[in-house]
Amino acid sequence: MTQATVAPIRGQARTDERSQPSVADRRNKQSLLFALPKGRLAQDSLSFLERAGLSIPTDTESRKLILPAADGSIGFVMAKPRDVPTYVEHGAADLGICGLDVVRETDRAVYEPLLLPFGHCRLSVAGPVEGAAAPRAESPDAADLAVKPASSAQLDGTPLRYMSQPRIATEYPRLTRQFFAERGVNAEIIALGGSVELGPILGLADLIVDVVQTGTTLRMNGLIEIRTILESQAVLIVNRASYQLKAAEINRIIERMRLLTT
Amino acid sequence: MNGHVPFGVADYFWDEASRRQGLLDQLMETFRGWGYGDVIPPMFEFDSTLSAQYDDRLRSGMYRFLDRDGSTLSLRPEFTTPVARLVGARLHDWPMPQRFCYGGSVFRYLEPQAGRQREFWQAGGELFGAPDPAADAEILALTATALKVAGLTQFRQIVGHIRYYRSLLEALMLDPQQTQQLQWALERKSEPLLEEFLRDTPLRTGQRQAVETLPQLVGENVDAILSLAERHIQNRGMHESLQNLRGIVDALIGYDIHDSFVIDLTEIRNLGYYTGVSFEAVTPGLGTAVASGGRYDDLVGRFGPPQPAVGVALGVDRLLVARQRQDGQDAGAGQHRIQPALALPQGSPDALARVQRLRQAGMHIQVDVNSWPVDAAFAYAAETDVRDVLVWDDGFQHHRRDERGDYVLLGPLEEGCLAVGTEMFGEELSK
Repeated sequence: MTQATVAPIRGQARTDERSQPSVADRRNKQSLLFALPKGRLAQDSLSFLERAGLSIPTDTESRKLILPAADGSIGFVMAKPRDVPTYVEHGAADLGICGLDVVRETDRAVYEPLLLPFGHCRLSVAGPVEGAAAPRAESPDAADLAVKPASSAQLDGTPLRYMSQPRIATEYPRLTRQFFAERGVNAEIIALGGSVELGPILGLADLIVDVVQTGTTLRMNGLIEIRTILESQAVLIVNRASYQLKAAEINRIIERMRLLTT
Repeated sequence: MNGHVPFGVADYFWDEASRRQGLLDQLMETFRGWGYGDVIPPMFEFDSTLSAQYDDRLRSGMYRFLDRDGSTLSLRPEFTTPVARLVGARLHDWPMPQRFCYGGSVFRYLEPQAGRQREFWQAGGELFGAPDPAADAEILALTATALKVAGLTQFRQIVGHIRYYRSLLEALMLDPQQTQQLQWALERKSEPLLEEFLRDTPLRTGQRQAVETLPQLVGENVDAILSLAERHIQNRGMHESLQNLRGIVDALIGYDIHDSFVIDLTEIRNLGYYTGVSFEAVTPGLGTAVASGGRYDDLVGRFGPPQPAVGVALGVDRLLVARQRQDGQDAGAGQHRIQPALALPQGSPDALARVQRLRQAGMHIQVDVNSWPVDAAFAYAAETDVRDVLVWDDGFQHHRRDERGDYVLLGPLEEGCLAVGTEMFGEELSK
């Protein structure tokens, strides 16, 4: 009979057994696996870990899936930022670093003992600058569509609850829905995978909800911030089971990081 | 008809099916060994019976549908409430304590994850009519035993006490928003959120210290943690819950499970009906709990005369995943169940009579019902991993597959040469 059952999680590890330690090996050694976000926070995360006195991988450009620390004490996976909480919730990684915005949006059951001193940004509602010529002003109909009855609410201080079903483009559908629902507004959420600033320009949306660091991108696209939904920064997250099962190692890491955060 | 199944349910077959069923049987047998009697509650019942007892998260995850008379029904999302209903409504005058165990499917409309579909299996035990710490200790010890029976070696039981937290809330006299803020901080074990709560909330010095101490009330050093907590008692409820935990720890001494014991007085997630000790069991390689339980003294009283109660439910699916990960990748391969021997009666009634006697002796035997020639039988046996083939010729001639896959005649069948039904190859054989 053919082998009927292979746990789905093994599928990937198996394909390159030679270059990666097997799940069983890794678990037996009880070493920690750390999930780090690719992209914006990657370099800051690594240098923060280094300053905290942790051994980090020497070659982060490697195409290997699991990068061992220079001294082999900890393994690192570089994951898409949105996947970090998922890895940690399921215990595929013991710890992770990602933005608080992502942790709140994905709403995974993880511990989040520490905020880390980098990756500061805010999740904001933004809309077209009042009176500013929309790039498609040559078509008055489209411009009218884009501002709808929402226009009065774009002035700072005008309650969002005056808006009638605004259309909002965002990569954060959960937080957006929640923010508007708390104000009694039944927003129409348009979930996008990126470049949400295009939403108002193309008449796809009245407003956007997106992460803002300096505001340059918004200004360049004729948008201004109207409200802040969430002040975000990097956060350490920990798997709930690992927190108890590997308490000594994990507490040691938290201690070291705490020294840098206070 | 495309032959698909809905998202969140699964077919289990071959070795996986027998491993699942085998584990459930082992767990049930363990419970029975501790005096717990079988109970089989219905798969669905009135939504009002179940929903009222749960927190929002579980309530929003229930499968509901309408009965023909318009009443709302729910598939059971767990067993404790149906069993508590049975005891409260029908068995309340039977001598206490009463012990029940169960195993079967429960249903939750949630995102499927490792070891948990939307239909998944639970096995568990409930002990009614015993308020003493000895009863809580029995459930904790029973859980540890069941986890060992399931083959787990490195699990931890994380023990909290919901009454400690609720009493602390009473002492702090918080408004709902402040309560929410504290709960968020504790659920996430977030130091920044806890600091924020302390900054935003005016508290007396003693109260403040009690909150500040909370993050330290987690760990393996049970005695030290309880002593520390005792220094920050604000009211009788906190005092009694710590006394209760001490009582449980003392009552556990004879069971020798202290090495798996972790205290966490900030663990406050639960189903909503717990009133005392509450616990979860975790194991390496699986990010979520494999078992959870606790004391729920107010649940039975909603269906009849009140009765104290404590119980545990184990996730069979998660136990299987955890065991497989613990034992490594190859363990699954070592657990081939021996396929039943294939007997060719060649049209002889005597052959069938002999097969019946072998079956009575516990052998698992499948009989050829296609009047196959011997070659066809060997081909089928080879493809389906059957090791033993019996061909009738005034008595069974016993053929067995050798290492190269050829069937070799051993001679007339001798008693004891065939596998008894429950035997496994490899790993399982040694257990």
